[in-house]
Amino acid sequence: MENKHIDHLFRYHSGKMVSVLTRVFGLKHLDIIEDAVQDTFIKASLAWRNKQPENPEAWLTRAAKNRVIDIFRKLNTEKKHLPTLTYGTDAIAINELFLDSEIKDAQLRMIFTACHPKLDPKDRIAFALKTVSGFSSKEIASALLIKEETIKKRLTRARKSIQKSKLQFKIPQGKSLPLRLESVMEVLYLIFNEGFHSNKSDKLIRKELCGEAMRLCKMLLQNEHTRSSATYALFALMCFHSARIEAKTNSEDEILDLEHQDRSLWHFPLVALGNTMMNKAVDDDTFSCYHYEAAIAAEHLRARTFEDTNWSKILEWYQCLYDIQPMPIHLLTMAVVSMQDSNLKDAKKFLDQLESKDLEQRAYLYYGALSDYHKLNSNYSEALTAIDKALELVNNKLEKEHLAKKRFKLIEPSQLN
Amino acid sequence: MKEFMMIFIGADYADLGLSPDELQNRMGKWFAWSNKMEQAGISKSGNALHPQMRRIVGQNRTVTDLTSAEVKEIVGGYYIVQAEDFDAVEKIAQDFPDYDLGGTVEIREVMVFDN
Repeated sequence: MENKHIDHLFRYHSGKMVSVLTRVFGLKHLDIIEDAVQDTFIKASLAWRNKQPENPEAWLTRAAKNRVIDIFRKLNTEKKHLPTLTYGTDAIAINELFLDSEIKDAQLRMIFTACHPKLDPKDRIAFALKTVSGFSSKEIASALLIKEETIKKRLTRARKSIQKSKLQFKIPQGKSLPLRLESVMEVLYLIFNEGFHSNKSDKLIRKELCGEAMRLCKMLLQNEHTRSSATYALFALMCFHSARIEAKTNSEDEILDLEHQDRSLWHFPLVALGNTMMNKAVDDDTFSCYHYEAAIAAEHLRARTFEDTNWSKILEWYQCLYDIQPMPIHLLTMAVVSMQDSNLKDAKKFLDQLESKDLEQRAYLYYGALSDYHKLNSNYSEALTAIDKALELVNNKLEKEHLAKKRFKLIEPSQLN
Repeated sequence: MKEFMMIFIGADYADLGLSPDELQNRMGKWFAWSNKMEQAGISKSGNALHPQMRRIVGQNRTVTDLTSAEVKEIVGGYYIVQAEDFDAVEKIAQDFPDYDLGGTVEIREVMVFDN
């Protein structure tokens, strides 16, 4: 008999079960629900050792329905407040909650709960990965490179905030929807970035986080109320970035920048999907930061070689991005882009608008760029001063090595003099 | 051919806080293992056991109900297989999936009595 093993079947179903059961019993019984779901998967893992069911998904759905009855009994004996559904007479109502469309609805409710502004921003990511995505606190810890204890604390704090604020388990409607949707997209964007930009954890975990953010984003797109031009743009952005994920590191797991990536490793079906999404994203003319970030990513993908990169177009998109999201890091990037384009005048214009303290813990990036600027102007001693400053401020080991290499290249020509 | 029992001893899955992904991966390995034994025509039977236990001990028949959390290691299940000797079963037991969780396989030969 073949192994009917679907990748992440348990994990995906865990998110579904927790969501549907929460819809039946309410957020206040989340602890009991999570235990019941965990127990279901332990049972499945034992029961399927020797013989796997013909239809694993149906098996799990049936198990979830049985859990409804179990939890009713448990709450009944503990004389806890029971939801308004009464077991027996409303068995049909329960069945209806397990229809595909209703499961999706419950999962969206869970996403909106996890990304609720009443929760601490840091807790949102951990809580979403746990309840919606079915990761354990240990897995979240290793994906985000945070101690498991800290993750556990965040999860507890999230649960407490949910109880304290008496959050409703629903998708917001009317005027509050756009704002709440923004908060959801931000969390998905952060989860994706953790996967895409982290240079510490291994490739498998990084891909998993990116895949998860895309899966959740797709859920938003599948519902007519939660899809918007910004959601399409966010999904397009994720497609464009993911297309490059294989090329981002070499066989030694070292980070490669755009200049040194093997462009033949880029995954073009994802680029095509991103383009399709982008076409939908520009259906109306309200552009979000995701639109511009996606446009920038697409511009990079359009270049066959690094030298082909259309830097002036990229600078234009950054200018648009900066207009709606005036963050110092964008100024710095614009300075770097201008230097790529050998436009030293613009580079200076952007650098002059910045101070190292604007970039807080990323101030080393400012000094790194400043060093490049001086180098391009053949001011080697000033370039050296700046790179030393950058080295002094950098924490990350890989970044430090990268800067040290740059410094080494700097002292070479000066020694020749 | 003789019959041997492989007894699996270790922590209960519920106490290890395994994630859905980890449980699924483990299930896959167990399935592959049992499938392999079945195809080789050597597996006779086997079961997984519930973690709850009731112990009756000594002259006074002292009864205690225990959960896996109170006992570090429990017997989680067993398989009975047909094999030539201990070495052959040891070979089969190489594929036991839970060594990395600190699990143990104990191999015992089933006693056969004359006539």
